Amino acid sequence: MTRLLIGIGAAALAIAVLAMAAALAGHSPADVVGVLFDGALGSPLAIRGTILKSIPLLLTGLCVVIAFRAGVWNIGAEGQFIVGAIAAWMGSPYGTIASMLAAAVAGAVWSSIATAMRLWRNAPEVLTTILLNFIAVHILGWVVNGPLRETSARYPQSDPAASALPQLAEIHAGSLISIATAIAAWWLLYRTTEGLRLRATGLNPSAARHAGINVPAQIARAMAISGAIAGVAGGVELLGVTHRLFERLAVGYGYSGIAVALLAGLHPLGSIASALFFGAFVTGAGELQRTSGISAAIATFGQAVVILAVVAAGALLTSRKPADA
Amino acid sequence: MLQLSHITKRFGQTLAVDDVSLSIAPGQIVGLVGENGAGKTTLMRIVAEELRADGGAITRPERIGMVHQHFAIVPEMTIAENLALIDRTAFRFLSLGSIERDAEATVQRSGIALGDVSRRAGELSVGEKSKLELIKAIAVDPTLLILDEPTSVLTPMESAELFGVIRDRTRRGTAVVFISHKVPEVLEIAQRVVVMQRGKIVADTPRAETTAETIADAMVTGARATSPAGSPARSTERSTPLLQVDSLALHRNEIVAIVGVAGNGQTDLIERLRATRRETRIGFIPEDRTRDAIVAEMSIAENLALGERRWSKRAGAARAKSLIDLYRIRATGPRQRAGDLSGGNQQKIVLARELDRRPEVIVAAEPTRGLDIEATRFVHEELRKAVAAGAGLLLITSDLDEAFALADVLHVIYRGKLSEPLTPATAAERAGRLMAGIS
Amino acid sequence: MLELVAASVPLALVASVPLLLAVQGELVVQRSGMINLGVEGMLLAAAFTASVTGTLLGGVAGAVAVAAIFGVFAIVFRADQIVTGTALNLLALGLTAFIYREIGSTAASAMQSNVIAPFAWIVSPLLLALLLWRTTTGLRLRAAGENPDALRSAGHSAAAHRWLALGIESVLVGIGGAHLALALSNGFAENMSAGRGYIALAVVIFGRWRVKGAVIGSAVFGIAAALQYALQAAATPLPYHLLLATPYVVTLLILCGVTGRVVAPESLGKS
Repeated sequence: MTRLLIGIGAAALAIAVLAMAAALAGHSPADVVGVLFDGALGSPLAIRGTILKSIPLLLTGLCVVIAFRAGVWNIGAEGQFIVGAIAAWMGSPYGTIASMLAAAVAGAVWSSIATAMRLWRNAPEVLTTILLNFIAVHILGWVVNGPLRETSARYPQSDPAASALPQLAEIHAGSLISIATAIAAWWLLYRTTEGLRLRATGLNPSAARHAGINVPAQIARAMAISGAIAGVAGGVELLGVTHRLFERLAVGYGYSGIAVALLAGLHPLGSIASALFFGAFVTGAGELQRTSGISAAIATFGQAVVILAVVAAGALLTSRKPADA
Repeated sequence: MLQLSHITKRFGQTLAVDDVSLSIAPGQIVGLVGENGAGKTTLMRIVAEELRADGGAITRPERIGMVHQHFAIVPEMTIAENLALIDRTAFRFLSLGSIERDAEATVQRSGIALGDVSRRAGELSVGEKSKLELIKAIAVDPTLLILDEPTSVLTPMESAELFGVIRDRTRRGTAVVFISHKVPEVLEIAQRVVVMQRGKIVADTPRAETTAETIADAMVTGARATSPAGSPARSTERSTPLLQVDSLALHRNEIVAIVGVAGNGQTDLIERLRATRRETRIGFIPEDRTRDAIVAEMSIAENLALGERRWSKRAGAARAKSLIDLYRIRATGPRQRAGDLSGGNQQKIVLARELDRRPEVIVAAEPTRGLDIEATRFVHEELRKAVAAGAGLLLITSDLDEAFALADVLHVIYRGKLSEPLTPATAAERAGRLMAGIS
Repeated sequence: MLELVAASVPLALVASVPLLLAVQGELVVQRSGMINLGVEGMLLAAAFTASVTGTLLGGVAGAVAVAAIFGVFAIVFRADQIVTGTALNLLALGLTAFIYREIGSTAASAMQSNVIAPFAWIVSPLLLALLLWRTTTGLRLRAAGENPDALRSAGHSAAAHRWLALGIESVLVGIGGAHLALALSNGFAENMSAGRGYIALAVVIFGRWRVKGAVIGSAVFGIAAALQYALQAAATPLPYHLLLATPYVVTLLILCGVTGRVVAPESLGKS
């Protein structure tokens, strides 16, 4: 209940801060909020845009939920998203399912590089996952300028993928995949032995180890699952929306996943609502840029505000507990 | 000098200090005794301005030095650097030579022998660390010195040295509060004994007018924990041991105790034991419950299921219900957060989880530390039952009484080395000296 | 090859000044017991404010603003430092891009490297080493990172020393950001910090939380990065985009190459 209130409060704060920023820059805050709202929900087209944006956000959010629940700082959803998209493109000649599987495996492999570095060399995954993001971005840059460049070689982008996700009522099937993933993640965390161990590992690794849980293996599996989900996000975005690979494919979906997950209080089902909110936010911000010339980067700013608000609220609530007993 | 009137302090729902009034005169040594959780430490932390009281008034002496039960030293730094930390001057340049000279002078003034001050604090023995803490507290020349369980990690000889230092301080007018739950020790050093129970002062008498028995009675409400005489039937034939490390062998139906002052290599020993027999089913009861055994944010049912191979929410809840009954865990139900339970009930969860798996070997480290008498007795009973059912129990404890009450065989551990096996009969006279490193 | 390295050294020393200053700032902060992932955002904010004001001091102001938020969250709220840092990087990224677009362009006033580079490579490391290991303040700051309880029981405030560390980091990163925007580039560009803050965190680990290690690590890294430009100019068969990835690959390898036990401050990141 408190988590829900915190979430709503944080979301409202993000909109308020955004309106304020716009006001300081000389735009009318009412107009700005109006455009934001209309752009996100004002027409069937806008709603479709919002849902399309929410799909990858939900998946990257779930990626972060799983990792954070296991106590691993996977800041690498962005890179895992990108390698997932590349793998999906390469797998697309073999059909949609093969393509999605390739995306999942690629994401899992990419996140597991960070795990391997943690387990063998004690390199902090906070840093390795971020560095792997940069590397993925440049690999994407290389493939669309080099080996996978379109046959006409006009733009730095690939040819369209050989297969695509089926469309259901003008929304690609990624919507179903993402919702199913959210339910599966919930099931995993709260209804399976694996989930029990994963949460225990995240909350108190020492107690988990003493109770006989193999903590490193647990972390490795959580990271692989987390990476796989981000990889699928990339695959879904490619086969459902962009169809081609190009340099700015990810546009921060990975980092936004952190905001989605935290706004949802790291709950898989809550992430659905949270992803829809951010989907609307990002879509509305895009409309703002088109109509008012306000940079869509304001959406990034709004996400940061949401994260900080949730973190602050959480910290202030827990600090009420006795410091000593 | 120190004047407390009507001090109260709450932690959530528990009243840790309940309307306490107390005054202490210069040069006095006050023994503050009580069971774990009686509120001794909380009261003194209020005196030392580390905690704020919820109600009441305090008149404090000028300088208060408090030595905590857990060390407040920086292991990465040298003794000299640790002592330089207490320098109150706002800013000063340091050189390696100057801080070591200053440190040596500080140590000298304290009257405590500590040796080379360029050693890293992390490399010191537990006894030396506690001396360093004492030196730090004395260095500010306190008018009131509070010592919280200072002897819990000391050998008898080191304790005697500590008592000498305390007496020396009081001759210069320092008042000393000596917090302990060891009655004989308090009777040895204190001039006045204050007994706390459940946040209240229940007795306050001059040393001369009290006895160990009266103090012990005042500390507890219930009866003393007495172990039922006689151990469960044990097979006399010596089968192959379940565990064997050096001279230590653990058989079925047997309780082997390893006694020693904390920090003498017990942790390493446990890790070695766990490594030797990976395939054996080991039930493990760690020393630090909240750090190593309980996931505070999870429910009782989830904590009970942590070691399970297969878990489902429904079966887990049913099993939790029966274990809660069986182990008399006082809780609102399987869904209650484990972190909200008392220490004794948390320990019962650990016990239930580890023993219900019917382990061949049970390793229990300080299984009753911080528990009240009733919970202590319960833990001892359950451990005995498990051993009677065929398990071997390795008990790691710093409490000689606990070892004598339970064990068939004792080993003393000192600086990582195990003594030869002792029977309770032979151990009675030797264990204390072995713990102090005198063979 | 060797000539190529030698030729790239002067360029490398100037080009890696922002990284070097970020490394030193983060070193002090981590010594006091915090992980400030937001150093990336500080650098970006500093580059922006420096290019708007055209001054060094402006850069410092930008870094201070981000560090202040981090301090409130990490020290006052005791919130999670990793999440806070990540959020601050998004904050700086979004806000600078937003304002940059509103303003249109920034006043670019050129700044010379000939004062800042020697400051970053020589003066600042010496001062830092002196502060950390030869003063009571430094001793206490390090104690705040190893065991804040020890500091508290000795009557000093761990929070105050952590704020001090953030202050030092702000000044250093502020200068670094200003140098990035005004000396190395011709004004601000979106996301111009380009991960230098993250690389700085890796170099701090590589340098084992020591000033000497920080300087050596930054130098190695700077030369490796400069070599990449030299290779580009020399038209190697390696594709341009993969060359761009080399700094990050090198950083990853650096992180894995740190052999033996890494001695991080004991209380690092714990609130």
